[in-house]
Amino acid sequence: MRHALRPTLPPALPLRRFLAGLLGLALMALAAGPAAAHAVVVTSDPAAGAALAAAPAGVTIRFNSRLDHGRSRLLLIGPDGAQQPLPIAADSEPTVLAAPVASAGPGQWRLRWQVLAVDGHITRGDIPFSIRAR
Amino acid sequence: MEQLLDLYGFASVVLHAAELVARTVLLGSVVFWVLLAVPAGRLMPPGDADRLHGIARRAVRLAAVAALVTTLLGGLLGLAALAATLELRAGALIGADFIALIGLALLAMLAVLVLAAPPGVPGPRRRWALLGAAAAVLLAVTFGSHAIARTEERPMLLLATGLHQAGAAFWLGGLPCLLAALRLTPASARLVGQRYSWAAAGGVGLILLGSAGFWLGYIGAVEAVYGTAYGSMAATKLIMLGLLLLLGAANFRALHGVAPMGQGLPRLRRFIEAEMAIGIAVLAVAASLTSVPPAADLPDDRVTWAEITERFTPQLPRLSSPDHADLAIPALQAQLDAEWQQRQAAQRPQAFTPGEGLLPPRNATDIAWSEYNHHWAGIMVLLVGLAALLDATGRVPLARHWPLVFLGLAGFLLVRSDPEAWPLGDIGLLDSLRDPEVVQHKLASLLVVGFALSEWSVRLGLLRGRVRFVFPVAMLAGGVLLLAHTHAISNIKEAQLIELSHLPLAVFAVIGGCARWTELRGPEALARVARWLWPLCLVMIGLLLLLYRES
Repeated sequence: MRHALRPTLPPALPLRRFLAGLLGLALMALAAGPAAAHAVVVTSDPAAGAALAAAPAGVTIRFNSRLDHGRSRLLLIGPDGAQQPLPIAADSEPTVLAAPVASAGPGQWRLRWQVLAVDGHITRGDIPFSIRAR
Repeated sequence: MEQLLDLYGFASVVLHAAELVARTVLLGSVVFWVLLAVPAGRLMPPGDADRLHGIARRAVRLAAVAALVTTLLGGLLGLAALAATLELRAGALIGADFIALIGLALLAMLAVLVLAAPPGVPGPRRRWALLGAAAAVLLAVTFGSHAIARTEERPMLLLATGLHQAGAAFWLGGLPCLLAALRLTPASARLVGQRYSWAAAGGVGLILLGSAGFWLGYIGAVEAVYGTAYGSMAATKLIMLGLLLLLGAANFRALHGVAPMGQGLPRLRRFIEAEMAIGIAVLAVAASLTSVPPAADLPDDRVTWAEITERFTPQLPRLSSPDHADLAIPALQAQLDAEWQQRQAAQRPQAFTPGEGLLPPRNATDIAWSEYNHHWAGIMVLLVGLAALLDATGRVPLARHWPLVFLGLAGFLLVRSDPEAWPLGDIGLLDSLRDPEVVQHKLASLLVVGFALSEWSVRLGLLRGRVRFVFPVAMLAGGVLLLAHTHAISNIKEAQLIELSHLPLAVFAVIGGCARWTELRGPEALARVARWLWPLCLVMIGLLLLLYRES
């Protein structure tokens, strides 16, 4: 099992999935593969890897799918690992998550998103960016 | 709860595949009952007509229960994943659109089940109600599909989805009923078969119409076919649809007297059974397809044709393993480090399903280890295929012991599959069993031993009966599961290149399983061909594994 956020044992080798699948031996063997869903990021502001001169007033992520805003979430994770939930604007476009940012100091930040697409698929991901010290 | 999230991506695809199979059979069985069995029953002797209604009604009821269970479980899984990741009240979660559509589909399935409850031939009202409930199921799942989440061409994609699913129901969904109906008296069986083949032909047309819509809305370019997971899965589905069409065309010719019946009904039965098996594989791919973003949405970082030809250019197999403690092969390691740094620098936004992670940064030892594993596994599968070919000649008695080679494969899997854990790694056996993947591999090794010994016993004449089917069913299940597995949702080139190498393996496994099944079940004319076909599939799988590379 590959863990995005909770590493445990070292990652699987592709052979495992093949052998288990080839021989039809264990339904669970397929858990070894990377999982998938629909919504992917089309653009974001700040962009992934951006180095900003100052804290952004807000964040915006555009997806390829229409979203259920009420059942999606945005977290801003600071250099110290502290998580700050961001209030998602309810009047955003159907494919956009937007939220204001109250404050953010210099350092490495991550914008962690989780969306529920209207077809019921859940997707999550991180957008890393940094704010330069003045 | 974290364990639930870890399993979410995998479980949702497997459940969706089961749901697709159950729903397709449900819709197809309703169509079979109302549009075929009722009118055809009037032209049959009463005994046959009663049996035909019984067959259709039973299929509808069983499929309705299966569809209800799988759909409910799929909905509950989605709800549980949401509940685990959002701090929302249950009421707020249940208000999601997809839950409402699942509820509608469940109600419609329940209505079908209730309508199928009374015995006897359904009257006009009940027939219309059955068709209406089936249409409601189709509408609910169509409006719960990915098409509804699109921003462009939504009506066209909804129509394509509906037509595609209806086509699958017309063609594949009624096959269990058709197979059972072939046990009627020959004249009645032929009548049912002829009428079904027309419905199936219509289903093919609907599938092709839907596919055209998917091409326009979800793929759009040839480069997307081999460059993305969605495209390559769609191409695999198309290849298997081609196989289905060949089988369907042979059945059509036999049933309509274009070709002589030859071995008659037994031949027809084998072809229909193969259609059902391949149909399940196609639906497994469909489930997998619905879990990845459309190719059109991933224009960047696609695998190029040059990368594919470079990767698939044959090289000598790697037959010596890197040392377990060895951490670097300098030249390759330097190249991989450079590639990894390049990818990191690109900082593209990635996306995951809960429980999924990125492919880990590989090092040269990982690759050498994996290639060695694939290549030795390939040698063993190749040996099995060649020994089975020898066995098929009937001139080499020793060759009938070919299942024992699988014991070597089982031992190999047991030792090599989890290098970090017992027996090679530092993690003890008991500790390693906390990881579900390690449990799968250990269990898989034991199961390989089980089916190798059972097949060997069959070859020696020690076991008879249904145990003969363990081997072909295992091949089929392996192929289907390999097709149904989940994929990276961003374009990760390494994952896609591995995917491209594994898809043909799955198709050969499905064909091989069907062939071995046919050899066991006859008739003799088909069995003579099948006897050579499935070992050839194993030979091909072995060769593909020998050619497998990860760099």
